Amino acid sequence: MLCKIAELIADVPAADGLAIRCRDYLYDGEDSADIIIRTEFYRPGVYGSAPNPEVVAYMESAYQFYMELVKHDGFYLHSSAVVKDGKAYLFSGHCGVGKSTHTKLWMETFGGDTRIINDDKPALRKIDGVWYAYGTPWCGKDGINLNEKAPVAGVCFLKQAEKNSIRRLSPSDAMSRILGQTIYRLDNEQLLDYFLKSLLGFLEQIPVYELENRPEAAAAQLSFETMQV
Amino acid sequence: MKIKSEFALRKAIHSWMVLPLGANNTHLTSMLTLNETGAMLWRHLEEGCNRDTLVQALLAEYDVSRAQAQEDVDEFLEKLQQIGCLEEEKDGAL
Repeated sequence: MLCKIAELIADVPAADGLAIRCRDYLYDGEDSADIIIRTEFYRPGVYGSAPNPEVVAYMESAYQFYMELVKHDGFYLHSSAVVKDGKAYLFSGHCGVGKSTHTKLWMETFGGDTRIINDDKPALRKIDGVWYAYGTPWCGKDGINLNEKAPVAGVCFLKQAEKNSIRRLSPSDAMSRILGQTIYRLDNEQLLDYFLKSLLGFLEQIPVYELENRPEAAAAQLSFETMQV
Repeated sequence: MKIKSEFALRKAIHSWMVLPLGANNTHLTSMLTLNETGAMLWRHLEEGCNRDTLVQALLAEYDVSRAQAQEDVDEFLEKLQQIGCLEEEKDGAL
């Protein structure tokens, strides 16, 4: 099943739920695949003794796609990506920190065309010097994604707190935070070098923040007003 | 002793970091950050060396006492041992 994901042609196996997840990404053009996802490389053992085949297919196809993405000036960030006024804002952090809650607050607070393009693992790619965030089929348990891209305005790490405050992170702090929320165990040193080159370039262009917040509209207002470009 | 090949030392912005390679590498669940001194010791260990070589390397670079250098090297090696970066020694000694 050929798909176009983050402007790359990917051959994704249709079985085990991926046909449905990929339905908005199907490609019927003439170009051959940039990335081929291979079921024979799936590692079911990573997911326990009797893993759900759909979970294995989802996780392992994501793993293979994002490992290959590193060769194409890109990487993913574990985050919820919301688009407002044509720009993408990425909210990241560990599981349960409130990423999806925060981007839903953006939709409720700002309305209009504000929308989530990927609720879990947006792809990031540099195209002609501009960093874009992309909707992809790998978007988390609720399946929230749109097959769109938008230039990245900023990244924000979330932290739950009693009151709302936001600060810009130094590039060095930003780097270690991003490393904690992206593909981690690359297959070899060459991939690692591609990835680090991309990441350092990303950090030169894109501001990264930390938002201490309560799950309320005022926090959405604060992050938007600070990050808007 | 020697660093296992499935770890890579890379320059971060104001420090160095050690990243695990390979999907089956179960060591180092969080990134290890090293300063210049740590990175220098790491590079010696990539080549393979013993504790005395590391102590000598520290003494050559820094104005520290031998006792202090030995203590620092032991602490560094213990940390690497804990997170599984060192090849197993046959006799188990550091």
